[in-house]
Amino acid sequence: MALIDLITEEAVKVPLISQTKPEIIKELIRLLHETGHIEQFEAAYDAVLTREAQGSTGLENGIAVPHAKTNAVKSLTIAIGISPAGVDFEALDGNPSHLFFLMLAPPDQPGPHIEALAEIARLTRSKAFCNMVTAAISTREVVEIFREE
Amino acid sequence: MNGPLKKIMVYIDGTEQSITAAQYAICLSRTTNAQLTAIYVVNTRALRDLVKSRIFLEAEQAEYQQDLEADADRYLNHIRQMARQKGVAIETLKSSGTVHTEIKNKINELEIDLLILGELSTIRSRRDEFYNESERAMRSASCSVLIVKDEDRVWEMYESLT
Repeated sequence: MALIDLITEEAVKVPLISQTKPEIIKELIRLLHETGHIEQFEAAYDAVLTREAQGSTGLENGIAVPHAKTNAVKSLTIAIGISPAGVDFEALDGNPSHLFFLMLAPPDQPGPHIEALAEIARLTRSKAFCNMVTAAISTREVVEIFREE
Repeated sequence: MNGPLKKIMVYIDGTEQSITAAQYAICLSRTTNAQLTAIYVVNTRALRDLVKSRIFLEAEQAEYQQDLEADADRYLNHIRQMARQKGVAIETLKSSGTVHTEIKNKINELEIDLLILGELSTIRSRRDEFYNESERAMRSASCSVLIVKDEDRVWEMYESLT
């Protein structure tokens, strides 16, 4: 399944309400848990935190891409969240993060996992695109921006 | 060899869609006597891009590369077994680099007549960042390309080969 197929309204949250890094991660995982994409909340959360402990996935320009391999999901899974207020995600540039792509994949599916992360890397190179997404006020708007059909 | 199709190549990327494509390729090779090659490309270009974009740490690059190498071996072995079960000879290739470039190069090197790919996304975005590697391979291949759909029907075709 391509990344674009995974970007649905039920996998998007606008606005995120959490104000700290661990809470943002929890909020995104909770979204996936409540919509049936994740079976084991704690396992998914621990996997992402373990990866964050190795090095923050907060990038420049307000973007963060927390990700992990975990058996808590059966297939590649993504959640997108927007925090208009911004959250300290220990980003490379020291600025608050506003746009979050949480990606989880089972350990035995590295191909789709890497390809999806690479697609996110390409997308987030465009400041204009990121600004457009970050300014979205509804889940529907976020999905429409990505699909741009 | 008889018929217009002499050499077929199927791209395997570890997805269900690519396994279905392999089943179809095996059926087609059986009926046309075309030589069949399966290729898996370890996407080292994506790994480098992920480190460059700081999404990956360097340690992750090494770890995921190992994962991809193991994935390649596992899936190519599985495809070999599937082909063997139907009495079809198959050559398997493991390559690394930029996926669509490697596929294009192998098509030219091996003089492939037909590239077979798994089903692409049904959502058509105008954003070209969403062209995944299969779609890029389809666009850049110098030979004809067949996109395999209808997993259930292909499974029946494969199962019915004796």
